[in-house]
Amino acid sequence: MPSTLRAALIVSALLGCTVRATAQGLPSEPVAFAGGRVTVSGDITAGFGSDDTGFFNFTDYEHSALRLFRVDLSTSVALNPHFSLLAEIRDENIETLRAYAFYVRVRPWTDRAIDIQAGRVPPTFGAFARRAYAADNPLISYPLAYQYLTSLRPDSLPWNADELLRMRARGWLSNYSIGNTEPDAGVPLVSAFRWDTGVQVHAASAVLDGTVAVTTGTLANPLVKDDNSAPQVAGRVAAHPIPGLVLGLSAARGPFVSSTAARGAVGDGHDRSFTQTAFGGDVEYSRGYYLVRAETIWSEWKLPSLGAPVIDRPVSALSTYVEGRYKLRPGLYVAGRVDHLGFSDIVGSAGPQSWDAPVTRVEVGAGYSLQRNLLLKISCQRNTRDGGRVTESTLVGAQIVYWF
Amino acid sequence: MSRFLFLTFVTLVFVAFVASGTDVRSARNGAIRGRVDLRKVPAPAEPRPNVSDLGAAARALDISDRLRSVVYLESAPRGAFESVEPTHAVMDQRGERFVPHILAITTGTIVDFPNSDHIYHNVFSLSKTKRFDLGRYAAGKSQPVRFDRAGIVRVFCDIHSHMNAFILVFSHPFFALTDNDGRFRIDNVPPGTYNVIAWNEGVQSEPRAVTVPDGGVAEEDFVLR
Repeated sequence: MPSTLRAALIVSALLGCTVRATAQGLPSEPVAFAGGRVTVSGDITAGFGSDDTGFFNFTDYEHSALRLFRVDLSTSVALNPHFSLLAEIRDENIETLRAYAFYVRVRPWTDRAIDIQAGRVPPTFGAFARRAYAADNPLISYPLAYQYLTSLRPDSLPWNADELLRMRARGWLSNYSIGNTEPDAGVPLVSAFRWDTGVQVHAASAVLDGTVAVTTGTLANPLVKDDNSAPQVAGRVAAHPIPGLVLGLSAARGPFVSSTAARGAVGDGHDRSFTQTAFGGDVEYSRGYYLVRAETIWSEWKLPSLGAPVIDRPVSALSTYVEGRYKLRPGLYVAGRVDHLGFSDIVGSAGPQSWDAPVTRVEVGAGYSLQRNLLLKISCQRNTRDGGRVTESTLVGAQIVYWF
Repeated sequence: MSRFLFLTFVTLVFVAFVASGTDVRSARNGAIRGRVDLRKVPAPAEPRPNVSDLGAAARALDISDRLRSVVYLESAPRGAFESVEPTHAVMDQRGERFVPHILAITTGTIVDFPNSDHIYHNVFSLSKTKRFDLGRYAAGKSQPVRFDRAGIVRVFCDIHSHMNAFILVFSHPFFALTDNDGRFRIDNVPPGTYNVIAWNEGVQSEPRAVTVPDGGVAEEDFVLR
């Protein structure tokens, strides 16, 4: 069945279900058991959008964020005032059910806002990844830093600069000669579609909160089981000096390249050297009927220097977006986002060039709440890219979100 | 002669009108009282599992508001719809809750929504009776909303999904909010027979016919849930 037809059927079915759900009084609030100690909530999202031939919105080789049917079920089990178990299972496009989050939260002192979380934990870095749920995102697409697939892969390495440059704008399906030579999707700067595994400590006060995490993967490649010999360390500090204002700073560093790929490139014992280092800053301000957010992320990857022309310095990327939302009337808002992702230059046989093709996206949209927990979004985005087979693309999309 | 007859007719009509009015006024208003027995107390809305949060949010639940019901006359006596001066009521936002959780008002009432928390709230309703969105405002600020149509208004916070409240808007004054034990009393009800309904958190009883005696008190108990 063509993907457009399947998406249309899914949207129709969801609309039908939600209308029936309204009539039958399906939950509009989390379902609670055991005196409120166990709560279950859900998010159902169905998207329908243009055919994205330039792979601007793809989250891997097969899935576009514009055409996503997603079911999330989250649960919290409060064992006692100190221990909670939290989990989220997710299914995308009726394929594989995955545990997106699964961790234990420990609050050693009930009167102090200090929490320790262990397991598959929420992202420490940045602001967007923790609000990636459809109802929290005023638009349909994701910011480029969190979704756009660069040509880099943790399991496959380019032999030289020319090989890396050949994969410009091919992040949706890149392949290199070192490590895993099979074509596969590259990685974004920060993945919003998988969470990392490890331990996280969070402390909060009235105006400041901070988090430190040690995890197995990296921002670009979160993992359940480590694929190299060292963990990632990430931290975030957020200040909220006045109501409505949040200022955040984040940093992370960890080995990015898998042991297998590193061994194939430079032999044993060097997989700690090929790191991803990232810094981010974010700000959010809201008041009355408007909300403005901005976030910038700089990320650098160290790759082995192999054949000529060599990749003689780390490759980096810088992404910045500004988004806003304004409520026109009860239940109706308009939103927009301007987003750019740029890459550093490397020197190939043909001279210096950015190692991946810079991308700019401008998206505008609107949302209308049919009822409190049933939101319909539409958006139009314009993508431009300095390279690749498709350099310009205008895409439209619609999304319906039901949550309880 | 014709003038005399006309004046006599007018006088008789006036006397008859006054006499009929005197009859009504001489009837003494009564009251309806009783108790609403909640077989199951509705649980307060739980926050959504904050799986994506970096830490737990401290919050104390209070179910006392859930014990309160509203009892009202389905059809009001004549004269109940006379216009009255707009009054004010308050629904506070405190401790990530609306206080009170249930508000019963008459049409024309202006409800103030102060924010007593140190965080933003965003009061809104998409109810057919009244759609409004007050936007985000900080502690110490308040926004008013005037309710001109009778009906039930569900109130939420756009930022904290577990915050919700009910505002019941009546076109007449014959309603009462129960106390935490379920006891209620509707005063100043003209003598007559009325359909009375009890309501709690979206659940309502079947209309019950209650006769208010002249100057007396009618008793009626309800069981809900």
